[in-house]
This record gives sequence, C-alpha cells and structure tokens, in this order.
Amino acid sequence: MTKIGVYICHCGMNIAGAVDVKKVAEYAQNLPNVTVARHYTYMCSEPGQRMIQDDIKAHKLDRIVIATCSPRMHEETFRRAVAEAALNPYLVEIVNLREHVSWVHTREPEKATEKAKDLVRMGVARACLLEPLEKRTVKVEKSVLVVGGGIAGIQASLDLANAGFKVYLVEKSPSIGGRMAQLDKTFPTLDCSACILTPKMVDVAKHPNITLLTNACVTEVKGFVGNYEVSILQEPRYVDEKKCVGCELCTKVCPVKIPDEFNVNLSQKRAVYIYSVHAVPKIAAIDPTHCLRLKTGKSSVCGKCQEACEAKAITFEQQPATIHVKVGGVVIAVGSEVFDASKMAELGYGRFKNVVSNIEFERMSDASGPTCGKIVSPSNGKTPRSIAFVQCVGSRDKRFHTYCCRVGCMVTLKQAILAREKIFEDVKIYICYIDLRAFGKGYDEFYSRARDMDIDFVAGIPSEVHCSQNESLYFDVFDRGTNKLLEIHADLVVLATGLVPNSDLERISSLFHASRSADGFMLEAHPKLRPLESAVAGVFLAGACQGPKDIPDTVAQASGAAAKAIDMLSSGKIELEPLKAVVDKDLCSGCRICESICPFAAIEMKTDVGKDNEKSRAEVLEAVCQGCGLCSSACPTGAIKIQQFSNPQVLFQVQAAFDKARPRGGK
Amino acid sequence: MSIVDLMSMATPNFGSREKILAKLLRRDVVNCFQCIKCTSGCTALKLLELKPHEIMKLVNLGFVDELASSEIIWTCATCLKCVQRCPQKASPYHVIMALRNLAVEREAKVPEGYLKAVSQILETGLAEACRKIVTRKMETVDRECLGLPEVNKPKESFQAVFMKAMEEKP
Repeated sequence: MTKIGVYICHCGMNIAGAVDVKKVAEYAQNLPNVTVARHYTYMCSEPGQRMIQDDIKAHKLDRIVIATCSPRMHEETFRRAVAEAALNPYLVEIVNLREHVSWVHTREPEKATEKAKDLVRMGVARACLLEPLEKRTVKVEKSVLVVGGGIAGIQASLDLANAGFKVYLVEKSPSIGGRMAQLDKTFPTLDCSACILTPKMVDVAKHPNITLLTNACVTEVKGFVGNYEVSILQEPRYVDEKKCVGCELCTKVCPVKIPDEFNVNLSQKRAVYIYSVHAVPKIAAIDPTHCLRLKTGKSSVCGKCQEACEAKAITFEQQPATIHVKVGGVVIAVGSEVFDASKMAELGYGRFKNVVSNIEFERMSDASGPTCGKIVSPSNGKTPRSIAFVQCVGSRDKRFHTYCCRVGCMVTLKQAILAREKIFEDVKIYICYIDLRAFGKGYDEFYSRARDMDIDFVAGIPSEVHCSQNESLYFDVFDRGTNKLLEIHADLVVLATGLVPNSDLERISSLFHASRSADGFMLEAHPKLRPLESAVAGVFLAGACQGPKDIPDTVAQASGAAAKAIDMLSSGKIELEPLKAVVDKDLCSGCRICESICPFAAIEMKTDVGKDNEKSRAEVLEAVCQGCGLCSSACPTGAIKIQQFSNPQVLFQVQAAFDKARPRGGK
Repeated sequence: MSIVDLMSMATPNFGSREKILAKLLRRDVVNCFQCIKCTSGCTALKLLELKPHEIMKLVNLGFVDELASSEIIWTCATCLKCVQRCPQKASPYHVIMALRNLAVEREAKVPEGYLKAVSQILETGLAEACRKIVTRKMETVDRECLGLPEVNKPKESFQAVFMKAMEEKP
C-alpha cells in the first residue's frame, strides 16, 4: 500500500494570497493513499524540508507530493531533501500552485482554490505510479571549445586555460580581438582599448593550453555534455602561418584595393592584407574573392605578393582544412553586430556623407584608424565646427528593436568627451536624447564629466535630418527643457546605433540546439539565476551574444561562464538526470520514425542478427537523450517510453483530472 | 481626484480617456515615452504650434476635456509623419483624430474650413473644389481653358448615403 505525504506551500502570500491552502490540505488528506497532508509558509525553507523528512521517517512515507512553485525553481531542492531521508529522490511529484494557479488567478480566489485541489488530486494520482530511478555518471573531456574571439571569448579562454583546461578558440575572422579591437577609448575610465586588449590577445596566442583557430568556423556538433565531438572548418589564408612574419611587404605590392571591414569600410585594404595593426596572429591573409590569381585560377596572373615575400610564405595552393576536436563543454561568445542605420531612412545615414554611425566615429577617433585619430567630416576631410549626436537609433524602437542597447548613451558621452578633447574649444557639441542612461559603476560620474565639458544636451530627438548643397547638415528638434523648436546645424551627425543579434546566431543556435529569446539573442537558462548557461547542458554563454552588453559586463560574464564550465568539468565526471527514453526491444518494429524525429540525434539503429532473419531496433544513446519525449509520442508500437513520464503515469494523472467526484486510488 | 492641473484647475476625465483609447484599439498610446520625435518633425508646429507630444501626455493623464474643446486639435495637417516615425507606434495622428471625433460628438465649435469641406463633398464629391489657378507666367487658367473634361457630379444616391453617415454618431 502506497503512503503519500502531501505538502502545500504558502510561498509567503504568493500562493496563500489566492489559494485557500488550509482547504486544499484538508482536501488532500482525504484523497486515497494519502497518509499526511500539511501546509506551511515556506516548504523550501529548512524547517519546511525537515517537516517532510520527519514525516518520511515517522509515517514510512514512500511518495511525496509537494504543491509549491514551478519545478524549475525547487524540484532539485526537494529531491535532495527527500534523498537525505533515505527515499529515492525521483519519488517526488511537484504540483505547480504558483505559476499555474495563484499568479494567474490572483483575482478569483475561489476558483483558484478549486483548481489547486484538482492539480493536487492529479499529482497524487501520478505519484502512485512513480518509480525509483538512479542517476548515471559519465566521464567528461577536460577541454572546452570557445566560439568567438572577441573580449568575451578571450577572457573565457584565458580563465579556462589558466585553470588547466585545454581550450580550442575558434574565430571566424583572421584575427582575434572582435568589436573591442575597433574601439578607441573605453568608458568610464577612458583607457585606450588597444592598450588593455592587445596584451590579452597576445596571452591567448602564447598560452600553451590554448589552440587558436582563426579564419575558422564550427560546422558540426555531435555528442553530449562532457563529450562533444566538434568539426571545425578552417578556411585557407593562402599564407603559410609558420613562415609569415607579418612584415607587410606583400600588402604594399598587391594591385587590388578593396574596402577594409575592420575600418567599417572607411578606408581600403589590399586583397592580401593584415587584419589590423594589432592583429593576433599577425599573419597576412588573402581574400580569395578579390585576389586576381585566385579569382582567375591561372598561375600566369599577377603573383606579385609571392615575388615580394622574402619568407616565401605565400602559398596559393592552400586548401580548407577540417579539424575534429573532442570537448567537454562549449562557451558561445560570438558577440553582436551594430545596427544598420540606413534602415532608418529619415536620419539620412547612407544618403548623406556626414551622417556616420558611432562605430565609424570610433574608427575615426582611433590613432591607428583611417584618419589617424582626426575627427573629420567625411565629405571634405575638414574638422567639424559642430557635431550632433542622435540617440537610440534602431533601439527602443518598435519598428526595429524594442530593447535598450545598453551602450549607446555611454558611447555617445565618451565620444562627445573625445571630440571636445581633440578639437577643444572650436567645436559645438549637441546630444539629442530621449533618456540618458548612465547606470553602471562610475557611469553617472562620467555623465557629469561630460556636462562639465560644455556639451549641450537637448531633450528630444529629431524627426529627420536634412542636407544642404555644401554637404552640411541641419535638423529641427523640439527641446523639452526650453519648450522650443531648435534648428541645429552640424558638420557631423553621429548616430548612436545599437547592438543587434549577430547574423551567425541562427546557425550557431541550431548547431548547439541552444534557443534564442524573442529579441534574437541567445536565451539563458534562467534570466536571474542561470544567466551564464544555455538550456543545453554544457553549453555556456558569454558576452553580447546573450544580449547587448558593455565591456565590463561582457568580461564579467565571460569569467563567470568559464567558472561554470570549470565547475562542471573539473571532477572529470558528471551526473546525468535519469529522465531518458528507454526502448522495449520486443515491441520495437525498427520503423526508424524515432530516429528521424529526434532533435538531438540520440537514437541509433542497431541490427540484431537472429537465427532466421535480421532485425534492426532502435537504441537510445543515454547520454545524448534529453528526455524531450518526441520519440515516445511518435512511436507507433509504444515501444519507447520516457522514464518518469510513461503512458500509464500520464494517463492516470489525466484520468484523475476528470475524477472530481470519486477520486481513485493507485496500485 | 488623483491629479489636478493647477494652472487651469482642470481635473482628468477618465471616462472620455477610456473612450479615446477604445477607439484607437489600444494603439500603444500609453506607451508614449516622450521622445518628442513627433513634435520635432510636426508640419503644423512652426506656424500653428501643434505639439503632438503634449497631446499624447495630456490624453494619457486624462486631461481630455480641455483638448476636445481646443482649437489646436484642428491644426493637424494629417501628413502622417508622426505615424511613420513614432518609435513606440503610439501614433499621435490617430489620437488627434479621436479627439476631433469627441469634439464633434460634444458639438464643440468646428473650424469653418471643415464645415465647408463637408458641404463641398456633399455637392461635388470632392474635398477640394475645382478652382482657377495662377501659373508662374501670371496667367489665370481653369480646367476648361486647359482642355480638361468637366468633373462628374456625384449621383443623388451618394448624397443620401453621405447624409445618413453624417447623422450616425459614433
């Protein structure tokens, strides 16, 4: 005879505010097989857990039903508590009275109480059929794949490598450094970005535990937490990495000029190029779509770089290489992109030369950039006498992205300060804003510093930017402070373009089976309590791929993600949940529907050679299976069941839902 | 009362505010975060002092009565720039139109031009009458001297339908 203990949690007033917990407990007491039913303010607290443990011992309970918050919140807590009282932790059933009842029926307490009773009755019914399960332990690889070599990927790689893990850092461009390498100064301290970034880039390249794979992308991911098998495709540079010394002789003789992406197309580079001044590795690369030799495929064409190279490093014969690695965990750190302001036609970006984005301003301001650090109006190369910044371009805008870009305000304040320092008194600076957000440590002080520097803040944003015949710009803006319509003339308009999800994210998220949130960024497992992990075990998130972020937050998240990976892999083994699919070999007809439907490729067909005939049967790769249940519902013969969610368990629960008047007992 | 305008001692009219919001099918009016983009680009601001962002805020706070009886709501040139560019899709234009409806419902004073336009439509089917114009060469021309055909008058049934529509109050 099953003996069930039912515990109703008040969750303070969260549940008790809408549900009459006392009535529910009384109701539960009279359900079949229920030995004790209690209610308590916080079941998850120490006294709450002890109450369950004491009852298990005193009443010899063998099933526990806890009606409380979502199982995502405290299922693990209660399983541990039950295990401490020597009961199998999988004999616990959670009934969600908070998210499913009290929070959605706040204003109808009577109905809420009835629904709570129904759910508890269903939980009790299901609990009767629960079976004890054991966790499984698997060995793990003590190595980690880091995808993306920006500041997030660099920080995560260094932390992991310093902790003794083998790291494979994959970067799609020819150099690591990412977005931060394009910046001039960083807020709120005005450190030079290169000065604080390049030492870390060099550390990555020199670290014995880090294998740096540039010009490369992940193409295939197989396996499961602790044992991922990853294929990485490395595109050819057409330059021998071992021979090239980065002398740039080749780049001087190449006859083909192409736009330089690193300088956001403000300058040109050659078809053979070194990615940036601070590139790591500092090795040339050839753009195969523009190089005359590679484009035509004729050995008689051009080849000037090959002649000029003293180290004999240019090899037009280089082929793409696929590298296979085994890793225990993955850190996704692919970053974000900058909003394309030409989508917002009214502001004139892309139509007027002197309307630039903030990343273009950043390249201009950088001493190693296309203007050698001079801030100029692109139309004539002259120093602007008046600069206007327009905030929230593409962000906080329902036509484009509804979120706040979290960096635009601070970037603009920084750029305004830089402009004031570089051009000094000869420039008028206007910032047109909606709300100025300076929320981080030292940020509001930075805002105050900008105000000290005679920068004019206009509370309002323009509807459209106009361009006069001589390429100078003007726009109307209504200022909330003065209640006046102002016409501002500017030689340079800088748009505070926000951060948008990386265009690679679609591919990356499907490769790793990690989901994205509605805004297009990677989705964390829990917005507050698990912000560094994806919902897929062993796949961690770092930096702006998870949401727009500034450098301090990115570095913090990267170190956090690395620590999470270390935590998971350091013991060399991990425990896996036993909630997996199992196949009844006698029932399996070998139809392969489950194999085709499984999103995790966790089903393999095995062929048994019998006396009379061969028969192929499905087999579940236990460590890969995530227990999603697709196979079980698709199986035509009912051969696959999901442990803890078997058909009898679920059907008995469903039956209980309609058995209001005459609740039935189990076994 | 929860809020009072101490400049005019006006108090909000939440009933009318609800009416306006319902008419807009909750078109995100309450979402306005006062970025002032609408007013910065408003065609009717410079000469007629229409400030759409003020109207948005007043409606959101419930100060609808003053607006419904004011002349300012009739200055909107319906260029729809604010609808196109509002980052919160709050659409000041639609709010102004709802306020005009409210004004007509309350039999507030409607500017002459609008009444004229109504009789114009009733007679000719056109919001703007066919007129003589002066060209750059200072010649006065009309459709006839340009060899254009006469514009058809609307059928009588049109007038009946139009009158019926005018009588139906929202």
